[in-house]
Amino acid sequence: MSKVIEVRNLVKVYGKRATAFEALKGVSLDINSGESVAIVGKSGSGKSTLMHLLALLDKPTSGTIKIDGVDSTKLSNRELNKLRNRTFGFVFQQFFMNPNDTVLENVILPLKIAGIGGKERRHLAEKALETVELSERKRNKATNLSGGQKQRVCIARAIINNPKIIFADEPTGNLDSATGEKVIKLLFDLNKEQGVTLIIVTHDEDLARLCDRQIRIVDGRISEGLEDAPKGEWVDGKWKMKVPAELEKEGN
Amino acid sequence: MGFFEIVRSANHNLFRNKARTLLTILAIFIGSFTIALNSAINSGVNAFIDNQTASLGGEDYIMIMPEGSVDTIGSMMMSSSDEPREYNPGQTLSAMDQDQLDKLKEIDGIDGENLYIAKQIAVEYITSNDTDKKYIISVGAMPPGDFNIATTAGTLPDRDSKEYQITLEPGYPKALGFESDEDAIGKTVELAVLDPATKKPVTFKAKVVGVQAKGVVAVNGSVVNPALETAMYDTITKYYPAEQKNLAYAVQTRFDNEKYTEQEIKDILRENGFYGMTVSDMMGAIRTFFDVIMIVFTIFGGIALLAAAIGIINTLLMSVEERTREIGLDKALGMSSGKIFLNFSVEAISLGFWGSVVGVGLAILAGSIVNFVVHQPGGFLEVFPTFDLFRFTFANMLPIILTVMIIAFIAGTVPAWKAAHKNPIDALRYE
Repeated sequence: MSKVIEVRNLVKVYGKRATAFEALKGVSLDINSGESVAIVGKSGSGKSTLMHLLALLDKPTSGTIKIDGVDSTKLSNRELNKLRNRTFGFVFQQFFMNPNDTVLENVILPLKIAGIGGKERRHLAEKALETVELSERKRNKATNLSGGQKQRVCIARAIINNPKIIFADEPTGNLDSATGEKVIKLLFDLNKEQGVTLIIVTHDEDLARLCDRQIRIVDGRISEGLEDAPKGEWVDGKWKMKVPAELEKEGN
Repeated sequence: MGFFEIVRSANHNLFRNKARTLLTILAIFIGSFTIALNSAINSGVNAFIDNQTASLGGEDYIMIMPEGSVDTIGSMMMSSSDEPREYNPGQTLSAMDQDQLDKLKEIDGIDGENLYIAKQIAVEYITSNDTDKKYIISVGAMPPGDFNIATTAGTLPDRDSKEYQITLEPGYPKALGFESDEDAIGKTVELAVLDPATKKPVTFKAKVVGVQAKGVVAVNGSVVNPALETAMYDTITKYYPAEQKNLAYAVQTRFDNEKYTEQEIKDILRENGFYGMTVSDMMGAIRTFFDVIMIVFTIFGGIALLAAAIGIINTLLMSVEERTREIGLDKALGMSSGKIFLNFSVEAISLGFWGSVVGVGLAILAGSIVNFVVHQPGGFLEVFPTFDLFRFTFANMLPIILTVMIIAFIAGTVPAWKAAHKNPIDALRYE
């Protein structure tokens, strides 16, 4: 199986000097083509940062990310934009739709950016909306849809350019379990039937277990263990935080 | 995205917040409206002044007097000292004799071949076969140079014709019993001067070749051709000694206005004891008046546009903030910073375009209404049918629209740059 993403020693530091914060402390991983991978971790663990770097929305402080064998750090902004536009699809927890545009216009957006002409992109958008079973809503304004419908429109938008990889950032975070299930089914159908690589960032353990593989991020590192080490303990009826030095000693 | 699509989506985005966009356009409109009207009135007035300049003799026309006469007039008009002035020979000279004329002919830049000595012709009256009445009239000759006067009918007299010809001032055709200005053309009128000894009128028959349009600058009455002028002058001065007859109080001629500026030729004349007066000297006051008005209104318009530019910056900055997420999404999906900059720039330019097009459009409407009203009976330009107060042309309106669009673009660079440099992640996180 070919490796679609290869990551080596990824470090991301926010801020400078005194206020510097190391969000990722050296992450290496490979993701195979057609795989479904869950990136899990608590908030602040660095999982979102990792996804942003994998999706080339941000640049790492050090380390390399190869997409389809191409080192992304060596690409120009123009090539990066093109790569994101052609290779990736994005599904966000907050949907990020243009509320006053129609469903169809929202779905078309990636092709509009790619500079694809009116007729072809319309046809592709209608096909994508068919996949998510929302063809009849294409003329509606995006703002008039329910949460589940919005997320399905976003999936249509993510697949319109026939991407290799779909990044889904908490795709069910804003949905109830029934509508969430439908969205999950759609994503895994794409993964199984069309071989789209699926990378889901979530803290929903149930969703994570559906994926072929789970990558757990703890304090900016990939953890092989199941859970974070406790950051504190009850001492004499009071919660006492452990200082980082103590955590280090315990081997975390 | 093609150009058309960018423009369409820019306008679509602009009118998402209609009230804000319309207010910004209103601000641009006020500035462009003021400047458009101002430019139009300037163009109208200049066209009129050029027309009047030609009626005085054209750009290369110059009237030359002996410096003494100017000093004399000057000392009479603005006597600032109570002391009597000491005599200097030649200083009081008020007319040029043959020696001075010969000297004048030799001055470089002066058309010595075509010196024209203005003659004082007191016409006693004018009449015609179609009326019993006689009317007072003042006549002027045709100065050299690009002399031209607008006519409502016919033309100016033929300079070289032996036939006596006259182009009448407005009003005379009716008084002389002709049906209209056109009707007067080709008719014969009778001009009379007095024999200085007998005080009996001596009459000359002249053919009417044209009727003048009304102008603001007084032309020396009805225009006669040199043949008629000379005939009448010879009658009036028939008892004068030759040297008296040929005294030149003022000489009109042309100067080489490609070689010398007006000021240079006047300086050269002054060195030789002459005083020169150009058309600008005569038109100067009017031009200065309109120039000052023009500058004042341009400043008003400019200030309005400056305020409008700040309005554009403000409007688009608010828009960038509101659309932070959208910008983030566009960038995440692969839109380049350059394209985002372009999109916001096109929005700014569109604001400028709409504001200036509406401003210029309404200025044309308002100006045309004013042009119409002032030419109606009772309007203050009723008597100048050829003079449009506001003159709108492509050449004076298009630059206004383009300039406003450029100003809008420059104002738009600030918000456009801000939008282009948003980090997609921060933009997507933005609530």
